[in-house]
Amino acid sequence: MRLHTKLTLFAAAATIVVLGLFVWQLPFLMQKIASGNTNKNLDQQRIKALSAIKKNGIDYYFQGDSAYGSYSMLKDEYISLEPFNRSSDLTRLQTAERIIDGDTINYRILIDTFTTEQHTYLLEIGKKITSIEEDSVALQRATAGVLIGLTLIMALIQLFYTRYLLKPLGFIIRSRLIKKSFPFRERQRTLITSTYDFKYLDQAISRLMQQVNHAFEKEKEFTSNASHELMTPISIMQSKIENILTDPGLPAGTVLKLEETMRIMKRLKKIVNALLLISRIENEQYNRNDTVAVKPMIREVLEELQHRADEKDLTVEERISSIVTLHHVNRDLLFQLFYNLIHNAIRYNTTNGSIIISDEQTPQDYRLYVEDTGIGIDPHQQEGIFDRFKKSTTEREGFGLGLSIVKSIADYQRISITVTSEKGRGSRFELHFSSTHLTK
Amino acid sequence: MRVLIVEDEQSLATEIEAALQKNHFLCETAHTAKDALHRTDTGSFDFILLDIGLPDRDGFWLLEELRKDHTETAIIMLTARGEVEDRIKGLDMGADDYLAKPFSLLELQSRMQAIIRRKFKLNDQSLELGAFTIHIKNRTVHYRETAIPLSRKEFDLLNYLLLHKNRPLSRMQLSDHLWGDNADDEYDSNYIDVHIKNIRKKLNAYADTDWLETVRGVGYKIKTDK
Repeated sequence: MRLHTKLTLFAAAATIVVLGLFVWQLPFLMQKIASGNTNKNLDQQRIKALSAIKKNGIDYYFQGDSAYGSYSMLKDEYISLEPFNRSSDLTRLQTAERIIDGDTINYRILIDTFTTEQHTYLLEIGKKITSIEEDSVALQRATAGVLIGLTLIMALIQLFYTRYLLKPLGFIIRSRLIKKSFPFRERQRTLITSTYDFKYLDQAISRLMQQVNHAFEKEKEFTSNASHELMTPISIMQSKIENILTDPGLPAGTVLKLEETMRIMKRLKKIVNALLLISRIENEQYNRNDTVAVKPMIREVLEELQHRADEKDLTVEERISSIVTLHHVNRDLLFQLFYNLIHNAIRYNTTNGSIIISDEQTPQDYRLYVEDTGIGIDPHQQEGIFDRFKKSTTEREGFGLGLSIVKSIADYQRISITVTSEKGRGSRFELHFSSTHLTK
Repeated sequence: MRVLIVEDEQSLATEIEAALQKNHFLCETAHTAKDALHRTDTGSFDFILLDIGLPDRDGFWLLEELRKDHTETAIIMLTARGEVEDRIKGLDMGADDYLAKPFSLLELQSRMQAIIRRKFKLNDQSLELGAFTIHIKNRTVHYRETAIPLSRKEFDLLNYLLLHKNRPLSRMQLSDHLWGDNADDEYDSNYIDVHIKNIRKKLNAYADTDWLETVRGVGYKIKTDK
């Protein structure tokens, strides 16, 4: 889940939970406030009643009765006065039932005693409880409605704000991280944001990309320089020896020694060339836009290698379907790949052995097999055969770079290569081309 | 034929010069782009052998400058940078050929010969070799009216020896030319013997091939009267 979605969800959930809690607690809260308010109200009415009694005299209320009662028409409130015999002073608030005009009603009642003209009276002021609760419910409903509205508004605000806030992060991900193929050639657009963290992140990523690019350029430069630096002296030596060899008076022994030196130089040249080739492939210095028909190319390779196969009296069977054309490859590299694989099959074959080159095509992919009846590869050596400089003990010729080149070329062109082999029975190399190689 | 060698590596220039002089080319050497421009301004050359890595200017720049005034001169780029893009760039900019270092002097001379043949339209040239006629363009060998079938490599081998006639070529030089970078050291040297044996066998059926000599300890050469 994306950060933006997560943050929005979290903000909405948190708002709902907090406001929900509040709405849930609202009745208790309202009750508390309402009852506090009622109590205060009752107390104020008590003070009013007492002052009225003081002013009018207690008899004004009794007027010959033994008790006085007054209540509003709706029975919401009442007040009663009656003589109190006990001398103890008691002032309290309580919730109790009273029967007024035959109705039993729950009241919040303030009970007080006071003494006037040497008589003690009991004063009760009551307020109907249902009216308090009704108030509270109405208020609660209104509040809940307002709160739901507020929740929605807050969620929307948060949604838009997080979207706005996280926009730079989306930019960083899209422009710096997604679908980045190395090397990073296109120009980097700059990030515009006031958020320090994103600025810092973007700068750090850009800096890293620059460093990688720089290292890549350095390596490329090294490849080019190494090539020049190594090839020039070899070139001079080769020319010198060639010129010396043209001397007709040269003793035969010297000629042989010079030939030997040339041979060593040639070996050096081949190693340097192989390393440079691998290095160039890994530096992506080759295009991958060629289209190659497999059968003619395999034929071409076989023609080149025919004399070597003849020497070992090898039977070479070519069973390639004539229609397969590969796209998005490099012609020269693919030729080198086929050449090395088939050359390998010849080199490690036994006299009178055979080589079968076959293929298999489905709508999704294409597979090419090079099978030989050669000496095979030990199971424990099979992993290392594509490694540079990891020379197997059975290898007499070559410099252990042929299969490294094969691997580099295959990796570069996104061809998967696998080997199955049995010691003494032969090996089978499988090249697996994906559907991208089959479509234009 | 006048050749200008533009190469900053003194000893390589000397070796190229020595080899070309033996083949009667008149050579001059320039070590910098400035020197090269100066020399081409004051004299005309049939060939310019141009190194890409020069101390003062890039070889591509020099190539562009040279092409402005010298359209007839054959320019062969010599470089240690073997990248395909460089080759294409060089050829696109008007170079006639491209040789990656380290190259064989024989290879260089073969390429120069090929350019001469192209320039002077000598492609259908046929050469007499003993009792045989060799048609370079058609890649055929004839004895009177009869065509003698030679394999591709056999013809290449004969052609290369003929290009450097009267000069012994070692098995390795021949194998280098025939198989290039894919050559195997010992492996291919033996094939030269096999190929020579086959050529002799095919031709001897018609006439003597004493012009194709084995040079003891070295290799082979084609001996002609001229």
